[in-house]
Amino acid sequence: MPKGEIIAGFLAPHPPHLVYGENPPQNEPRSQGGWEQLRWAYEKVRVSIEALKPDVLMVHSPHWITQVGHHFLGVERLSGKSVDPIFPNLFRYSYDMNVDVELANACCKHARSAGLVSKMMCNPKFRVDYGTITTLHLARPAWDIPVVGLSANNSPYYLTTEEGLGEMETLGSATRKAVEESGRRVVLLASASMSHLHFHEEPDIPEDMSQERPFNMEAYQWDMRMIEMMRQGEMKKVHDILPEFIRETFAELKAGSFTWMHAAMGYPEIPGDLLGYGNVIGTGNCVMEWNLVKHGRADHALADSSSFTANSSGFSSPSSGTAYQGDGPTIGYPTN
Amino acid sequence: MTIVSAFLVPGSPLPYLRPDNPPWSKLASGYRAAARALAASRPDVILLYSTQWGAVMDQLWQTRPTLKGTHIDENWYEYGDLEFDLRIDTELARACVSGSKNIGISSKGVDYSEFPIDTGTCVANGFLNAQGRLPLVLGSNNYYHSYDETQRLGEMAVSCAHKLSRRVAVVAVGGLSGSIFRKEIDIRNDGLTSLEDDHWNRKILSLLEHGDHTGLTKAIPNFASEAKADMGFKHFAWLDGAMGGGFHSARIHAYGATYGAGAAVVEFKI
Repeated sequence: MPKGEIIAGFLAPHPPHLVYGENPPQNEPRSQGGWEQLRWAYEKVRVSIEALKPDVLMVHSPHWITQVGHHFLGVERLSGKSVDPIFPNLFRYSYDMNVDVELANACCKHARSAGLVSKMMCNPKFRVDYGTITTLHLARPAWDIPVVGLSANNSPYYLTTEEGLGEMETLGSATRKAVEESGRRVVLLASASMSHLHFHEEPDIPEDMSQERPFNMEAYQWDMRMIEMMRQGEMKKVHDILPEFIRETFAELKAGSFTWMHAAMGYPEIPGDLLGYGNVIGTGNCVMEWNLVKHGRADHALADSSSFTANSSGFSSPSSGTAYQGDGPTIGYPTN
Repeated sequence: MTIVSAFLVPGSPLPYLRPDNPPWSKLASGYRAAARALAASRPDVILLYSTQWGAVMDQLWQTRPTLKGTHIDENWYEYGDLEFDLRIDTELARACVSGSKNIGISSKGVDYSEFPIDTGTCVANGFLNAQGRLPLVLGSNNYYHSYDETQRLGEMAVSCAHKLSRRVAVVAVGGLSGSIFRKEIDIRNDGLTSLEDDHWNRKILSLLEHGDHTGLTKAIPNFASEAKADMGFKHFAWLDGAMGGGFHSARIHAYGATYGAGAAVVEFKI
């Protein structure tokens, strides 16, 4: 079996406004468009993912908040209707996703081995959070690629930002090991905005773009400063300055997805391709790609189809695993 | 009298889903005692504010007449499902939307099928209104609202109820000290994460018990910062505003821990 690898990572923010603006059949509310520059950026993501042909999309969302440890979606098929509790007027989306439970199990095991509290979510009635769904829809609206979903433990909020991001680095390394053993070709999605200061009232017409702008000059300048460093491939500088950026702009990168993704990719010191930037209720949103194939950091050839069948390391097809229950105290499910 | 009873209760699903676990059973018992007191006060409606229904854009009020479904807690999904079947007093809820705007707080009604009902609301309703006999008015916790704004919202909600001649039970759903265990524990040995948190919780509960308004006003800001009180203890602001600062004492039906965080069932004497 060929060694699995991470072939690309995207900074992929999740404002539900972008789904609303697109008017896909899965979403109930109808709009007159809006936020086109960000939606066009996601069109480029879709083209790139189509070309990369990954086996799995892995997404870390700040809107599945778990207090004790890092959790992974662990049910093979999850479907339902996601209504955004903050913007129910914009996002009421019917989803149906296949989960690569086997790879999720492996990530969970490696995270535990690395000392992180980690757990598989095995309740089939679980409602997937809107951050995960929005990012996945925007990246691949066909929903034909299995996914691995990770929660945000919010350790950067509970601990210091630096300590919390350190934990996300460990989670990223564990993810990388699991991917390598899996034989899968994986695209990572860091679901997060940049500056996250926002307006507190919505325009009467949410898609009235005359009302959309950066929350303030400082937040915009911070976003541009960070993006320019990313464009130049000065990623060490980006990671060094990240805690300050988070403090100054309330950046959603604090939830850890960006650090997790780059740690999993091995902190490549390569330029990111800026696909687009835009504001949503004042927040700064950057869609950026780090294509490891293009930069010679991942194998260009597609994995042989035989890698998706049972093999010596125990990995089989991306959606045929059984849920790992964790090594901790067994409490069973359900109990009532 | 418009307000006939008032309660502060925890929103953790653990005592609800596992009332057999010794550290959580006393919280479940306390909840059942509060349910009896609430029923005895013969309200027409329950005004309920849960810290776990978060909002960031407006003050939201649930205006859908009925909501029925299953909620799975995003943390404690393995302990079971939370079924809910809620009736909303839509007339009073709409009055609260208008009333919020009248006190300078932007507000909206929420009327959507399959809107995600939060864990705290499911748990409090499940314990206090198990048969669904009473309609509810549900208000969100806007994370950006201050203690003072939350107080004014509680006051406004009771004022709206008064105008509509409703007898109301006011319920605030939220915890005490907010630190939790970050590692897996043997749930049979659950307790507070620290002695300091325990001291803070006991101090606040004692002030509530004695109706010491001055002491509470002085202590709550420090409680919020030093004990990482759940949402800065804003849920008490909602209660305090609703009661018009008028409670003279409180009965602590139960005090304990939910995975390290402080939790209590408190009934106010008004």
